[in-house]
Amino acid sequence: MLRDIWNVFIAFTRSSNLGFGGGPATIPLMQNEVVKRYHWLTDEEFADALAVGNALPAPIATKMAAMIGYRVAGLPGALMGLLGTVAPTLIVVVVLSHFIMLYAHSTVLRAMLKAVRPVVVILIAQTAVSMGKKSFPRKATWGIAAAAAILLYLHVHPAIIIVAAMIFGYFAFSPRNHQKS
Amino acid sequence: MLHNLWNLFVGFFRASNFGFGGGAVFIPLMQVEVVNRFHWLTNAQFADAVAAANALPGPVGTKIPGYVGYQIAGWPGALVGVLASIGPTALIVILLGGVLMKYANSPKLRAMLQGVRPVVVVLIAKTSLQMAMTSFSGWVTWAIALAAVIILYYTKVHPAVLIVSSLVLGLLVFR
Repeated sequence: MLRDIWNVFIAFTRSSNLGFGGGPATIPLMQNEVVKRYHWLTDEEFADALAVGNALPAPIATKMAAMIGYRVAGLPGALMGLLGTVAPTLIVVVVLSHFIMLYAHSTVLRAMLKAVRPVVVILIAQTAVSMGKKSFPRKATWGIAAAAAILLYLHVHPAIIIVAAMIFGYFAFSPRNHQKS
Repeated sequence: MLHNLWNLFVGFFRASNFGFGGGAVFIPLMQVEVVNRFHWLTNAQFADAVAAANALPGPVGTKIPGYVGYQIAGWPGALVGVLASIGPTALIVILLGGVLMKYANSPKLRAMLQGVRPVVVVLIAKTSLQMAMTSFSGWVTWAIALAAVIILYYTKVHPAVLIVSSLVLGLLVFR
């Protein structure tokens, strides 16, 4: 049991913290640990777990760690999976945050940040473009985008727009199973 | 202090648990809470948080709450932010994982997520525009952005490399 808990911790520490590019980049690494190395799940079970993870909001890596950790070693397994996923980068990011606050008025830090901000703008814009290429398969999706832009301009909270878009999708994009004959 | 912790919990709970559709969606949702609603950081400072998050491995949805939470309320702030972000769905998958597996591939759910995706694109685009307004001053910053576009388009350089090299460049150019 203790050994399982430890293995869960190690597996998720490794897969999450060697995966650059946010949660989704860690999925193949996670599959390697969970399916190939420790044989906790089969490929099919891993795909099912991933489908559940993708259906819910919030970071994918922590949902997978909680779900699989719990299956392997109960609640302690879930907690250690989460800890392994989150703790290492949390510590580093807090240390970075601390130094940025501490040296907020230093000319050196300001010079560095001034150069990194345009790069961040481009990285985020690039995400919008690459997601955009996959998000508009039909005309109605353009309508949703236009409506979202207008609502944002009117300062409607994004959470409300997201829920409204899901309801719209449910009625507009669900396949019609019971066609009238 | 307690008031700050509560606000951090509410802000990151909302940002993360309405974030359908992958890592990038957290950035605009968190920006709305951190910059527009609670005024914890300016747009430029929020860009620094995103830079720190992009330069490190691991989930974006926990690094930004850690970074911002720490600036607002120290270690307790960082922990509350992360917990608000990942706690609810961790509980849901533990308690309901088996039940959810039956519905995860349902066409109706996929239809709902298809409805959300255009919204996510608009949100992300809006965030990058807002950040651009405070990030460009003088031709050098435009040149850096242009260089970033070219490098991202023509090479497979990892974003973390771009972030670190732009920090070094800033040190040489803007001091």
